[in-house]
Amino acid sequence: MAVEAEKWVHMVTAQTPTNIAVIKYWGKRDETLILPVNDSISVTLDPDHLCTTTTVAVSPSFDRDRMWLNGKEISLSGGRFQSCLREVRSRASDVEDEENGIKIAKKDWEKLHLHIASYNNFPTAAGLASSAAGLACLVFSLAKLMNVKEDQSKLSAIARQGSGSACRSLYGGFVKWIMGKDEDGRDSLAVQLADEKHWDDLVIIIAVVSSRQKETSSTSGMRETVETSLLLKHRAKEIVPKRILKMEEAIKNRDFTSFAQLTCADSNQFHAVCLDTTPPIFYMNDTSHRIISIVEKWNRSEGTPQVAYTFDAGPNAVMIAHDRKAATLLLQRLLFYFPPNSDTDLNNYILGDKSILQDAGLEGIKDVEGLPPPPEIKDGIPSQKYKGDVSYFICTRPGRGPVVLSNKKQALLNPENGLPK
Amino acid sequence: MVGGAEKWVMMVTAQTPTNIAVIKYWGKRDESLILPVNDSISVTLDPDHLCTTTTVAVSPSFERDRMWLNGKEISLSGGRYQNCLREIRSRASDVEDEENGIKIPKKDWDKLHLHIASYNNFPTAAGLASSAAGFACLVFSLAKLMNVKEDQSKLSAIARQGSGSACRSLFGGFVKWIMGRDEDGRDSLAVQLADEKHWDDLFIIIAVVSSRQKETSSTTGMRETVETSLLLKHRAKEIVPKRILQMEEAIKNRDFTSFAQLACADSNQFHAVCLDTSPPIFYMNDTSHRVISIAEKWNRSEGGRRWHILLMRAQMQY
Repeated sequence: MAVEAEKWVHMVTAQTPTNIAVIKYWGKRDETLILPVNDSISVTLDPDHLCTTTTVAVSPSFDRDRMWLNGKEISLSGGRFQSCLREVRSRASDVEDEENGIKIAKKDWEKLHLHIASYNNFPTAAGLASSAAGLACLVFSLAKLMNVKEDQSKLSAIARQGSGSACRSLYGGFVKWIMGKDEDGRDSLAVQLADEKHWDDLVIIIAVVSSRQKETSSTSGMRETVETSLLLKHRAKEIVPKRILKMEEAIKNRDFTSFAQLTCADSNQFHAVCLDTTPPIFYMNDTSHRIISIVEKWNRSEGTPQVAYTFDAGPNAVMIAHDRKAATLLLQRLLFYFPPNSDTDLNNYILGDKSILQDAGLEGIKDVEGLPPPPEIKDGIPSQKYKGDVSYFICTRPGRGPVVLSNKKQALLNPENGLPK
Repeated sequence: MVGGAEKWVMMVTAQTPTNIAVIKYWGKRDESLILPVNDSISVTLDPDHLCTTTTVAVSPSFERDRMWLNGKEISLSGGRYQNCLREIRSRASDVEDEENGIKIPKKDWDKLHLHIASYNNFPTAAGLASSAAGFACLVFSLAKLMNVKEDQSKLSAIARQGSGSACRSLFGGFVKWIMGRDEDGRDSLAVQLADEKHWDDLFIIIAVVSSRQKETSSTTGMRETVETSLLLKHRAKEIVPKRILQMEEAIKNRDFTSFAQLACADSNQFHAVCLDTSPPIFYMNDTSHRVISIAEKWNRSEGGRRWHILLMRAQMQY
């Protein structure tokens, strides 16, 4: 039974990380339930650097469900949002907020409306998979608000219906999205393989590549690949299952050589099946290829891989370095080939964990200009540089899963009226 | 018996076209004999625009085999040249040049040396498969010089040992390189599907894209793909055989829609298996992608009957 003053607002604010797949999800066997054609494995990134923050609020004074994304109101009428809202609501239970004297009975939830505000601390245009973090945060925060008593994997099966890769953002560390067998998708969910402390030597550098290209959306792209690529079936049936097992082993044993080989091979094969689509899909561009060449050359000259690379449905490079030292050497190479424009402050060119610049001995632009060519380039030909081809870099690491933020200052909605601050 | 003056020189000059595969050859099952993992089909291009011209000469006064390519002397010691020379020489027969009073009996050929000069009328750096045309021309002109009595397909099996795609330049029009089954490669050769008059509406435009990139050589690249791509086996075994049959039908029936769909799909799949290689091979760059986008958008746009006719007359090859 709702409390007398019908203007009360009950809110929860949560924060969710994004994730990067190292064995890729590309292709659905069911478009509505978002069931994939193969398993996938991801690394969750540190939400200190990249995250979605969401505040969800409920009040008898709200007359309809509303949502604001990065300050702009958006529609909740689409199937994906509706699926998530329906699935969480149907699992709501009794809520009691003693401090504010609010009681919401299980049966009241379906009559009450929600206000949702979500904010990404990274630009949507950067192609950094904001919908994964966003929908994961929506489901997680609503589940907290409505006192849903399901475990994290069951919540991931709900988030999955909002955006496939969102299910993997319900955990920190290393996560596997099990494709499942059931028609209704109840067994298609995420599990944690290892938490973020398991392999915390790893350092991740993301190159946000300048691109004027309008990308093919993942949803339509993967559908076209399922419909037209003769190589995809073979990949999903014969190749990925073996890679999943090998990747689980590599993560368990912290075997970076295997991890890197599998990650690079699977990224390349994902882009290969995109190319094998009609019409062909090109997510990587010349800059992406150059980054791959730089990493491949260095890895081969060292004998064992120092850095793994992987690309999603866009030209951005996500590079996972064996350790801090490898990341520093990688950054020196990247800055050698992709120096910032002369008017750019180095502080705005490396985001996230900026302390890596100090490790690399780079205080300012002059230090970047003074970088020597990598030793593995032996042919004596002066190297070509590609100034401006990378917009900026982000330095991060594997990170934790979703958390509730109890600091009221971090709420995105005003507790008085439930509207964006 | 050789003619009196030992300074005589006997020469033949020939011209050979280059070709572009529409169902691709990529991957060998035998590196020395150059035997492929699947069939391939090509279109021979008009030698008026792109060709190799080769003069081969024999004389008792020549001390050793020598070759000049585009004016520069090159070595003939490599396995591919040696294979072609050996295979042709072993099939030489009696030659008589009545006009100049020269007679070369079969048994004399292995004592005589050759001078070869070859010239491409297109730049080597343009990446337009000069070795296909070059080896085809070498084999063809030597076969003429030495009066080799083999049919064109048998000659193609020899050219194949110089450069795989060279075998397809022994015919005009539309050509298929049958992968063969024999270990010794005797049945891995080219046959003509249709001559150049069969479908002469087609126009071919080649965009030579500016590139500073040093390309991975085909020989190295395809070996790496065979060794590391898990998708290539599937392509060669399950996908290409069906496409070969469909492409033969399309050519026979002048079915441009099927021809275009197959040619584009196979080109893209070839580049897909290159990407699936370790390390990945990128032959196409952003400009190549833009050209594809332009062609794909145009093909898909509304146009009805006019579109159909336009496509009949201009085919963008990629």
